[in-house]
Amino acid sequence: MTEAQVLSDTTITIKVLGGLQFDTPRLILKPNTRVTLILDNHDDMAHNFVLTKPSSRLKVVEEAAKLAERGAKMNYVPTSPLVIASTKIVEPGNMETISFVLDKAGQYPYVCTYPGHGYVMFGVIYVGQSYIPPFEKDTNIPETQRVGTRNEHAHHGHGMPSSPHPYPIEFPMLYRTFMPEASPAAIAVGLTPTESYCWDAGKCYLRYIWTGGFVDNAEQWKGNGSKLTKVEGEIYWKEQQFPFTIGINKTQPKVDFKGYKLLKRVPTFEYTLDGIKVSETLTWNETAQSLIRTFVIGERSSTMNFTLPKNDAITYQLKGVTLKNGVIAVPKTIKSFSVIIKRK
Amino acid sequence: MKRKDLKHKLWKSFGVGLLVSLLGSAVQAQNTSMPKDSAAMYYEVEDIPLPDGLIAETGSIGFLPDGRFVAGFHRGEIMIYNPKTRTWKRFAEGLHDPLGLMVVSNNEILVMQRPELTRIKDTDGDGEADLYQKVTDDFGLSGNYHEFAFGPVKDKQGNLFIALNLASNGAGIRPEIRGTYDSLSRPGRMYACVDYRGWIMRLDKQGKLHPYAVGFRSPNGLGFDAQGRLLVSDNQGDWLGTSKLFHVEEGKFYGHPAGLIWKKDFPRVVPISLPVAQLDSMRTKEIVQFPHGYFANSPTQPVLDNTNGKFGQFGGQMLIGDMDHKYMIRLLLEEVNGKMQGACIPLNVGSKMRIGNNRLAFAPDGALWVGQNDHGWVGARGIQRIKWKGEKHLDLMAMNLTKDGFDLTFSMPLDAESAQNVANFKFKRFYYEYHQAYGSKQFDVKEIGVKSISLSDDKTKVHVVLDEMKAGYVYEMRLGEIINANKSKRVLNNLVCYSLNQLK
Repeated sequence: MTEAQVLSDTTITIKVLGGLQFDTPRLILKPNTRVTLILDNHDDMAHNFVLTKPSSRLKVVEEAAKLAERGAKMNYVPTSPLVIASTKIVEPGNMETISFVLDKAGQYPYVCTYPGHGYVMFGVIYVGQSYIPPFEKDTNIPETQRVGTRNEHAHHGHGMPSSPHPYPIEFPMLYRTFMPEASPAAIAVGLTPTESYCWDAGKCYLRYIWTGGFVDNAEQWKGNGSKLTKVEGEIYWKEQQFPFTIGINKTQPKVDFKGYKLLKRVPTFEYTLDGIKVSETLTWNETAQSLIRTFVIGERSSTMNFTLPKNDAITYQLKGVTLKNGVIAVPKTIKSFSVIIKRK
Repeated sequence: MKRKDLKHKLWKSFGVGLLVSLLGSAVQAQNTSMPKDSAAMYYEVEDIPLPDGLIAETGSIGFLPDGRFVAGFHRGEIMIYNPKTRTWKRFAEGLHDPLGLMVVSNNEILVMQRPELTRIKDTDGDGEADLYQKVTDDFGLSGNYHEFAFGPVKDKQGNLFIALNLASNGAGIRPEIRGTYDSLSRPGRMYACVDYRGWIMRLDKQGKLHPYAVGFRSPNGLGFDAQGRLLVSDNQGDWLGTSKLFHVEEGKFYGHPAGLIWKKDFPRVVPISLPVAQLDSMRTKEIVQFPHGYFANSPTQPVLDNTNGKFGQFGGQMLIGDMDHKYMIRLLLEEVNGKMQGACIPLNVGSKMRIGNNRLAFAPDGALWVGQNDHGWVGARGIQRIKWKGEKHLDLMAMNLTKDGFDLTFSMPLDAESAQNVANFKFKRFYYEYHQAYGSKQFDVKEIGVKSISLSDDKTKVHVVLDEMKAGYVYEMRLGEIINANKSKRVLNNLVCYSLNQLK
């Protein structure tokens, strides 16, 4: 919710979601509306809500700052004729309800006067105003909420790389970030502006492959970090389980991520499975329009088994090994093998 | 405020009797002989030009042995700045919130990013990293956004220390996690549902990660002092009545209970269900409390001034940044009864200084570089360089507890009149309560009278005797218009807060 149009006596819940923002930075009311306002603090910091007389937000913030060490006891609300209504300090996870009536037309600011918050965490109630500025141009709303993420939108792919970094976007490229359907230690790799995959450094395997773009980090970067990076494009291949087992008993190996190295920006992931060194490199073959996964496996005393998920949208082609019932047996004599994945 | 109003206020607050002496010293000094003296006369603050397209939410900074500056930013870039050519170059990219770094060599750094401590190295000499090796990821990640990771810092034996934030119940966890899950500490504001959240960890030279000390909430700053003691800051919140600095030693508990569930042999109880008195008796108290709001809101990284005088007169002392204030904080630490405690005092460097001072590092030439951040919090973006201009200002150099008050050591001989004027040393004391709720009011606030003041023969030390000394309180001192002996300088930083844990 970014804006509420209120017509009669009403109850409004304003949430604090983090990033020093009221989720509702603008309210529009008729004069003489009785407002029951609930401040619902979902943030991990304490906040208050202070409604001020028109054009008094900064003055009230300054008055609150002057309370200095007395502030906490006074809920950081100054004793001031400029304050119309206020909550107490609302601790994280708590809520508080206040009630007030604004009888005169005007623009009434509201603000959190908790130390340090007042200059960024505010909003406005319009009462009986014939003209309301467009949301994006409303200077009574914090700039970050007004403009949203548009200026920082990281939109790769589709041949229009406007870089969110101090250098041009250059593929292949990768981000360690929070990816959907992976552990929190995931890596997104764009081999080309349109061919991408997610490799999980927490679990040491390729999670999924997509086409059509790379990622959008705008939400992940902008907020407190809760929001995931978005996949741009269509996922056409997904792993179902950890692909490797070891020996004839097909035991699940213990994985240990070691890192990655870049060769011409292409990453090679390195990890161990029960101490056996494994590396995996994914490359894109533009001519064949296929993805090549190349594994190099270190010395070992038994056969490794590599399961490929059944997928009707693609074809598999193997180099150095053969597929039987969806499983590749990799004898200890084989040092390297490749799986080529091609969309149908 | 107009001068007339000021006089009126002084009259009202001090009464007639004191006014005569005030007119004779402080007020008169201000009207006539008070030196024009400001922090900007002693420090130069310069903005470092940033490359186009950089969102300078600075998470980590440092200097390479060759003098180049390296910084990590929220969007995962590690950039290198050459102060000689004033050019930026990419060193590494794609990291997940690099909130700490440690330089190894001109082509190698360690970076603390959200999921791991990573060795990042340029092996082919083209100036860009091509090797990203895991140093350790032997800790849990629930996917909760608040699980930031800080550090590393290195002790004299070669151990590395990192700090692991608690998760926040303002958000949940991911369906897939890394590490061991334990729901026991989920009740409460901040929680540690995967291993070693809320801990300081030690990485030994063999690369094994060990739990070192517990009880942290959001320890955004680790540093060693001149004696090699590990100091860690933590942020006001639940179980932290105000922001604090801890002297961290192995095996100890520092106050936030959530991480206790990962302590070996700790009973299977919800930590916050334990009586507060019991938790209080288990914890090791902070060595410094930073009063919330008017002194500091979110203290950041402590750094040792090891510039041998290149940054001014505070060599050997610790500085620490804060997110909400346009100053550094200087620490005046001492040992009392074998335990560290001490005071904090602002170090103003002039109004060009921004807020958001998240990371501090000294350049080889002794300038202090500050990396600023405003991510999800009050702050600013960018990088600033603070240079000492070479002249010493009048400031408090040490605050040492005595049996009946404090010995205050100043940086130069004082004007005897202003230094012996009781009105120039205002004390009060209060305490913050240790409790589960977010933050704390100041309790038992009391003005403490000054019984007597004496100035040492060399006029640099003021011995203040107070009416009452009580352990467990913050003693807040406000210095008035104290000037130096030749009346050319005044005390520039006036607010000092001493955490009196131990009486002498």
